[in-house]
Amino acid sequence: MKVQVNEDMCEGHGKCQNAAPAVFRLREDDVSEVIVDVVPAEEVERVERAIRLCPRQAIKWVSQT
Amino acid sequence: MTSAAPLTLDQINLFDPTPFEMGEAHAIFKYLRNNKPVFWNDGPENLVGTWNLTKFEDVVAVSRLPETFISSTGITQMKLAVPESDGLFGDTSGNGKMLITMDPPRHVRLRRLVNKGFTPRAVAAMEAHIREITTEILDGIAGRRSCDFVLEVSSQLPLAVICGMMGLEKKDWPLMFQLTNKVLGAGDPEYQTDVPEDQRGSREAANMTGAMGFMQMFAFFGQQLQKRRVDPESDLISLLCGSEVDGEALNDEEILWFCFLLILAGNETTRNAISGGLITLCEHPDQRQKLQSDMSLLPSAVEEILRWVSPVTHMARECTRDTEIRGQLIRAGERVTMWYPSVNRDEDIFPNADTFDITRTPNDHLAFGIGEHFCLGAGFARLELKVMFEELFRRFPDIDMDGPAERLRSTFIGGIKHLPVRYTPAG
Repeated sequence: MKVQVNEDMCEGHGKCQNAAPAVFRLREDDVSEVIVDVVPAEEVERVERAIRLCPRQAIKWVSQT
Repeated sequence: MTSAAPLTLDQINLFDPTPFEMGEAHAIFKYLRNNKPVFWNDGPENLVGTWNLTKFEDVVAVSRLPETFISSTGITQMKLAVPESDGLFGDTSGNGKMLITMDPPRHVRLRRLVNKGFTPRAVAAMEAHIREITTEILDGIAGRRSCDFVLEVSSQLPLAVICGMMGLEKKDWPLMFQLTNKVLGAGDPEYQTDVPEDQRGSREAANMTGAMGFMQMFAFFGQQLQKRRVDPESDLISLLCGSEVDGEALNDEEILWFCFLLILAGNETTRNAISGGLITLCEHPDQRQKLQSDMSLLPSAVEEILRWVSPVTHMARECTRDTEIRGQLIRAGERVTMWYPSVNRDEDIFPNADTFDITRTPNDHLAFGIGEHFCLGAGFARLELKVMFEELFRRFPDIDMDGPAERLRSTFIGGIKHLPVRYTPAG
């Protein structure tokens, strides 16, 4: 599965990085980026948590494959 | 709070500000969460009725769909069924004109003009400045044994921070405080000072007060804007003057509405979070003791204060396509109202929701909303709360309430107008 951060929405709260540090990284410009191509199975739960917690709801799954 | 007779649904009217003014709304919300979590309330007089959402997950679901549940037709429950004559004042609703009353995609673009100034990193860089302001405010009360905590302390920090960001001169800050009260506290007789005393408290008095506050605010910011058009500075108003959305510069009206929103949102809500935080800590001496003996608990205490106080009481949306919420059909054109104090005590989300616990973890409350319209100033609110309580308890560790708080008569803002406190004078 792949996950995506909408850069127009992200305001750098860093909740995703706290929830799933192996998947998200908060850049110097206060926008979070996804640092893996495909989310490994063991990270899915943490990514779900990041999606739920994102203050701007800027994160979503982009493919189920 | 729980002394009232058992409730029944037909007794509940969430348009009535009285339970909010009396601090009794939590009993109503608890009843609704348990008995009718999606509750229809007819609108009184000339107001449109609304569905009332009291459960956490329902408010999250609505907040995640900003195109289905829109903001541009008004964000409070006070929506007129039949528009009143615009009369002398024009359209003072601001619907569709401010970030808070705007829908995507324009909302996203307009918000991006300013949001880099509000990120956690940008906010953190302001800590020393915020501490300096806080110190100055506390110096002002240090020589005495008592004061009105709202007028002299809690209102002054957020006011100074937002006025500073907007580049307003100190001599104008008291006016901003006064006009904010007129606009957001229009329904409270205390702020209806433009209306003869014997007519205060009426619906007309509220309309007049809000309109007067609005006009004076626009007149003031009109002058500020003209000054910056000629002579730009490094403040938010000047930044907006030089900004474009989709290749078009913002016009005067758009900038004035922006200023209106910034000043209101920037100084009213955090004021009430600070006041509400002090009241809550005074009412829970064990938690207060725990905090004062280990101030490293403050960040988590701030989150619990935000959950407990929920300074913004509601936001409303209008449904644009038939949608089900918890099995209830919400039809296109109907309105929904999201009640933050209720969702933040939702027993399904927060174990022991009625317990104030400064170490609560996790504490993913919705005091700032979530999604498209998540509070832009959340970072400032958190930092102002943190710095204020650090400095307050350092200098006045025995500060305590010296009489009951006076609450604002409003269903929208959990306002605290006055809070008498006493303390040992400090250096």
